[in-house]
Amino acid sequence: MKLNRNSIIYTAVFTFVVCIVFVVVLAIANQVTLSRMNANKKLESQLAVLKAFGLADSSTPASEIDSKYSQSITEKNVDKATAYIATIDGQPYVAVQLTMPGLWGPITAVLATDPKGTVVRGFEVVDQQETPGLGGRISESWFSDQFREKQTLPNGTIAFAQGSGKGNFDPANGTVDAVTGASRTSDFVNALVNRELALARQIGGTL
Amino acid sequence: MSASSKVIKDGLWYNTPIFVQVLGICSTLAVTNNLKNTLIMVLGVSFATSMGSLTLSALRELIPRKVRMIVQVLVLSFYVIIIDIVLRAYQPAISKQLGPYVGLIITNCILMGRAEAFAASNPPGLSFLDGLANGLGYGWVLLVIATIREFLGFGSLFGFKIVGDWFTPWTIMVMAPSAFFLVAIALWIANNYRAKAEAAAKKAAPGAPAGSGPAGAPAPQKG
Repeated sequence: MKLNRNSIIYTAVFTFVVCIVFVVVLAIANQVTLSRMNANKKLESQLAVLKAFGLADSSTPASEIDSKYSQSITEKNVDKATAYIATIDGQPYVAVQLTMPGLWGPITAVLATDPKGTVVRGFEVVDQQETPGLGGRISESWFSDQFREKQTLPNGTIAFAQGSGKGNFDPANGTVDAVTGASRTSDFVNALVNRELALARQIGGTL
Repeated sequence: MSASSKVIKDGLWYNTPIFVQVLGICSTLAVTNNLKNTLIMVLGVSFATSMGSLTLSALRELIPRKVRMIVQVLVLSFYVIIIDIVLRAYQPAISKQLGPYVGLIITNCILMGRAEAFAASNPPGLSFLDGLANGLGYGWVLLVIATIREFLGFGSLFGFKIVGDWFTPWTIMVMAPSAFFLVAIALWIANNYRAKAEAAAKKAAPGAPAGSGPAGAPAPQKG
């Protein structure tokens, strides 16, 4: 008997079977790699916090991240954000991890500062979906390195401005270079940074 | 010329996606400001179109005509999600950098184009080759454009600095407009060259149908 390929029943059954088969394979592939993906995510987040505190950099081997993290950092949950506290060279530092809207999706970043929020220790983007090559450059080191030891402005914020495009590394001026070709992303990150500074100050005040 | 070598030559040059079919332009504009992303994109597209064409061709006798496009999208997106999962699990840094572009491979017209134009009516082995050749035909053009854009835009290749600090990066090369004019210039050069090669072939073999034959060689006699 030859199947009538144009019959409604054949079409429905075929579509159903094909969907089931491919979706099941995908589900299995996802399940198999799930623990790996979660481990990657956790490591990524820990590395970002360590980097913000200046306790690790991109060359830190993955095997050391977890132990380094548990040794030096205390987590503290505050509403809607996670705070991290670390003591470096006898000085306490506060970091805040926060997720706020970006241009294409949420941006998650960590900002570490002294408890008064006057000198930024470091800034690191954990997760973002901005345009690769444009807004996506907020994940690059030239961008985050600008925040190292940056003094905040008298009103307690960091300003984003158009600059040379190579980064603004003067610690005293409270200003960083925005990303060329990504004004909207830069605005979102600016809001995120200043919100984190405000939160860090609140938490720092209770230390 | 055997069928498979024709398929390969067509994909890489005579019927290359960017220059002749003018497909896949969207991603050409989007990812070519950086060689590493471009390479991953090219590998992803080549994998998805070759495997997608293979699967769809193997199923072609079974797929009801009415739902063939739905099945094509399903199969192609299946391979795209596989790429996404593998990158996420084993290359998290690259996955992060490419962001939404991996998922967007499915919107690359080359995939559906080859599935519909070739895999739907050819055997699996040949369809696989066709998908691969088209992916790579798309790929080499992208890599050339990305080389120009990354070099002029960042002064680097694959992220390695090539020129010293004296170099002033051409910011426009990193942004979308440069892709538009670079792709246009490349199209212009390629089509000019092709037209000349075809004219030369015609001269060499008068009366033979011009078009699909390789430059300089007599065009294949059909019928």
